Amino acid sequence: MNPFISITLLTTLILSTTIVTISSHWLFAWIGLEMNMMAIIPIMMKKPNPRATEASAKYFLTQTTASSLLMLAIIINLMHSSQWTIMKLFDPTASILMTMALAIKLGLSPFHFWVPEVTQGIPLSTGLILLTWQKLAPISILYQISPSINLHLMITMSFLSILIGGWGGLNQTQLRKIMAYSSIAHMGWMTTILLYNPTLTLLNLLIYIVMTFTMFMLLIQNSTTTTLLLSQTWNTVPIMTTFTMLTLLSMGGLPPLTGFMPKWMIIQELTKNKTLILPTLMAITALLNLYFYMRLTYSTALTLFPSTNNMKMKWQFYPTKQMTLLPTAIVLSTMLLPLTPAFFILL
Amino acid sequence: MSLVHINILVAFTVSLTGLLMYRSHLMSALLCLEGMVLSLFILAALTILNTHFTLANMMPIILLVFAACEAAIGLALLVMVSNTYGTDYVQNLNLLQC
Repeated sequence: MNPFISITLLTTLILSTTIVTISSHWLFAWIGLEMNMMAIIPIMMKKPNPRATEASAKYFLTQTTASSLLMLAIIINLMHSSQWTIMKLFDPTASILMTMALAIKLGLSPFHFWVPEVTQGIPLSTGLILLTWQKLAPISILYQISPSINLHLMITMSFLSILIGGWGGLNQTQLRKIMAYSSIAHMGWMTTILLYNPTLTLLNLLIYIVMTFTMFMLLIQNSTTTTLLLSQTWNTVPIMTTFTMLTLLSMGGLPPLTGFMPKWMIIQELTKNKTLILPTLMAITALLNLYFYMRLTYSTALTLFPSTNNMKMKWQFYPTKQMTLLPTAIVLSTMLLPLTPAFFILL
Repeated sequence: MSLVHINILVAFTVSLTGLLMYRSHLMSALLCLEGMVLSLFILAALTILNTHFTLANMMPIILLVFAACEAAIGLALLVMVSNTYGTDYVQNLNLLQC
């Protein structure tokens, strides 16, 4: 893509999320979300093949529906409070509509159907932007309206997301779809705790972004998009198998790794509020996620798939792709658990 | 909530239903999107004029600007889909199923 266009699009993308996070006027937040959608659609169509076109069309339709619903909620809020400040909403209808609009933008159940298909159709680096950067703006709005969100709606949507993120990823071999279902499940965990302690939503978002960034960087290294290609990384860069294993187990939430921190904190906060069934079911359903991560780990790091004989004698070339921040990201996504008190104080 | 407001909200709901349940053409989804934004424009203008909220008089126009940009992107995507398949039938968008 022409470098001027590329810089303009990336700048608009960063600027749009900044506008949404720092604005105090509802119209500006809506404008930021519109700019966000408009900036990422050309990025998705970098290589105009039919899959990218289809992914962009589906993304566009869902996001514009969400924008219109959000604007309706803003106008109903205006009717009932006649002010535009972003704070709690003043009407339960506006609150429900806005929560559903932001759930469509994030990909929470029951509005999750676009996430796997859109993530599958776009290149890996654009998928990274879609699953990490695009989540910042809607979560910042949810954080600000959290005092007025309907509890039943939110808990239903987030628990459904955790279930669907777990079960949906079980039948997948395409890695981008697996990452999409992982994103749905993590969004479910994040929005569960939004009404009890919104700080933990931000903590979970931060750690999720670091882990997803690591995973995508590892996939971009070898341009792997299927499980079969991932199982051949022992041949190109053997140490990547260990890193893939550690990052996947961290995403699954296993204890000595960073991914355990948000789940532990969330379960602790939920039990403090005497909701015992919900965290139990959430913790059990997280095992589904862990199962398909373990399956990827098994085929990548723990066994060798059957392959032809001359694969084992490949000359190992020096990697030519830029490993942007990969060592930093790997360390952050596996070794941050002892720093839990620091995160608690910082956020 | 007065009858006028209910009227506009029903218009929005009908357009939303049309967006969610279109049968074969992608174009009808884009049209329903424009219908939704139009009803939002009328609702916003009505509320702002009724409450004499003069500072916010620009808001419906700004809303219209962004809706026009969205429509442009929607049409560009429609053209890209039509480039591949010749029509804008939505049953053609089935490459990315699980």
